Amino acid sequence: MSGNSISHETVYLGNTGAQKKPLFRAKNVFVIVLISTLFLFPLLQLFTGNINYWLHMLLYTFMYIAMASSWNMIGGYAGYVSLGHNAFFAIGGYFSASLLAYAGISPFLTAPVAGLVVMAFGFLVGLISLRTSGPAFIISTIAMVLLIKISFDNWDFIGGADGISLPLIQLHIKWVKIPFYYGMLLIAMGAVYISFRIRHSKFGLGLRAISQDETKAEVAGVPTSLYKILAFAISGLFVGMAGGLWGYYLTYLRPTIFLNIIVAAKLVLMSVLGGKDTVTGPVVGAIIFIAINECFRTYLGFTELNIVATGLLMVLVLLFFPQGIVGTLKELGKLPQILDWD
Amino acid sequence: MTHLVQVLLLGITLGGMYALMASGLTLVFGVMRIVNIAHASFMMIGAYISYWAFKLYAVDPILSILISMPLMFLLGLVIYKFLFFKITGSPRYGELTVLLTFSLALIIEGILGFFFTNIYRSTNPSYATDSILFGPFYLPEGQVYATLSSMGLIVLLWTFLLTTRTGYAIRATMQNRAAAQVVGVNVELVSMVAFGIGIALAGASGSMIAYLFPFYPAKHWEWIAVLLSLIVLGGMGSLIGALIGAFALAISSAYVSFFVGPTWASVTFFLALFLILLIRPQGILGKKMEG
Repeated sequence: MSGNSISHETVYLGNTGAQKKPLFRAKNVFVIVLISTLFLFPLLQLFTGNINYWLHMLLYTFMYIAMASSWNMIGGYAGYVSLGHNAFFAIGGYFSASLLAYAGISPFLTAPVAGLVVMAFGFLVGLISLRTSGPAFIISTIAMVLLIKISFDNWDFIGGADGISLPLIQLHIKWVKIPFYYGMLLIAMGAVYISFRIRHSKFGLGLRAISQDETKAEVAGVPTSLYKILAFAISGLFVGMAGGLWGYYLTYLRPTIFLNIIVAAKLVLMSVLGGKDTVTGPVVGAIIFIAINECFRTYLGFTELNIVATGLLMVLVLLFFPQGIVGTLKELGKLPQILDWD
Repeated sequence: MTHLVQVLLLGITLGGMYALMASGLTLVFGVMRIVNIAHASFMMIGAYISYWAFKLYAVDPILSILISMPLMFLLGLVIYKFLFFKITGSPRYGELTVLLTFSLALIIEGILGFFFTNIYRSTNPSYATDSILFGPFYLPEGQVYATLSSMGLIVLLWTFLLTTRTGYAIRATMQNRAAAQVVGVNVELVSMVAFGIGIALAGASGSMIAYLFPFYPAKHWEWIAVLLSLIVLGGMGSLIGALIGAFALAISSAYVSFFVGPTWASVTFFLALFLILLIRPQGILGKKMEG
């Protein structure tokens, strides 16, 4: 994350931290240690008992970190709230799944392609729906999800509403989660890295200008339409990749699993909870949200109450902490250095 | 030819109901700039009120509007007071309202699901499955009653807006909030009342769909998508636009359902939505929207 030399844009953004750049600053060390730990973690499977539960929770968290960070590129930086990112998730999932079912190609190979396909799809949808802004844009993203849902429900090639079953990965139960773990970890790292790079680029600056005042940004020479559409498309990339792997992990895809509105709600909530418009916000938000959710599920068990809790949490955060955890801490000057990547 | 007219008639009988749902939604948007994603979940509450009134006390679903509307009106006032009072004047107001009502929809869905579980329900008064025949045509009796009552409520709404003082104030606030405030309209109070009315109308439509379409708590996502397409087509915040959008889409979806197949009928709404965004983002009668 620190290999690049000082770019013109970072200076322009007034990011003084980026100008010194010793490799072994505390927060770089933190990231290196964190990533190495995560890479070595599955080795525990060799020495201790079964850690499949933890592998599952971690890879699930990685997936949501990737998706929330991606959502943040358009919803946070550009301020265009999308409630339709699960359409990207579904398209990615089904793309890889049908290639596996009909051509036998492993989703681990096709997931990156799925990401690119979703990106192209996002670009096309963006051409239309980003002509609007504010509430109308949000509505158009909801419509996108429902349109995809109806099409998938009625498309026999991919199993329609009954869904499509995939062959299990041929590995011993002890190892079966590990490829998915590394896959999701890489996707999450990629998403956070791209999010970081966008945040510190002229592109990111343009997006944030759009979020502040689109007319002024346009007057100041920001190619607003192009930037918005690009941000929308890029935000689909990692969501699509995550979808490709997740479908294989579940070994069973149904439109209702992917195109459930709760999935989109989670992405928004995680980003807002952690702090949208920041690099680490969606990461923190995803981790905290999944932890809370898991406790809830363990102790209460009702999925309906889970939905209520999600909604209540969202209302409270929106009304009282619209800046989210990272944003609020930063405003108070209490944000730990390791979380400050803006 | 008979078929074409028959489908048109079916479309019109649906359109009246859509028009009522869309009126409430567009009223709330027009006065407060709130995109009420929870509108359809309020309809679900109305539907459950009717369902239990019918089941326990054998109250006719259309008459139960008299119960569901006042209850929903009060609920609307309370929700407005707690949720939207705080955020008026926030720089990201438009976006916040969508996210807040979205969360509200989740909360309502969860609560309904907790109490009434996720099974399909519907009330079945005697007229729910009957048809009125005339010449070569038929009309489903329940749908006709629902559309007629919907149109009745819309007429009442318009009379209220056009003749009473509060109605004037509501229309003034819809046209220009700041100017209305300058000439002495208590916009906060007007907003609260308008929100209540919007929710009450949602409750009334809920009572009607209770016997026409089977429902369960999460059903509202399908409805809200349809309703949003209606008001985007008509122009958000325009009451006449909502009527036009409702009838136009109800009739075209009836034709799609007839020629292409019932599963694709709802595609009409979303395709229309994308088309209108492409050609005329502000809708047929709408003013340009701002975030």
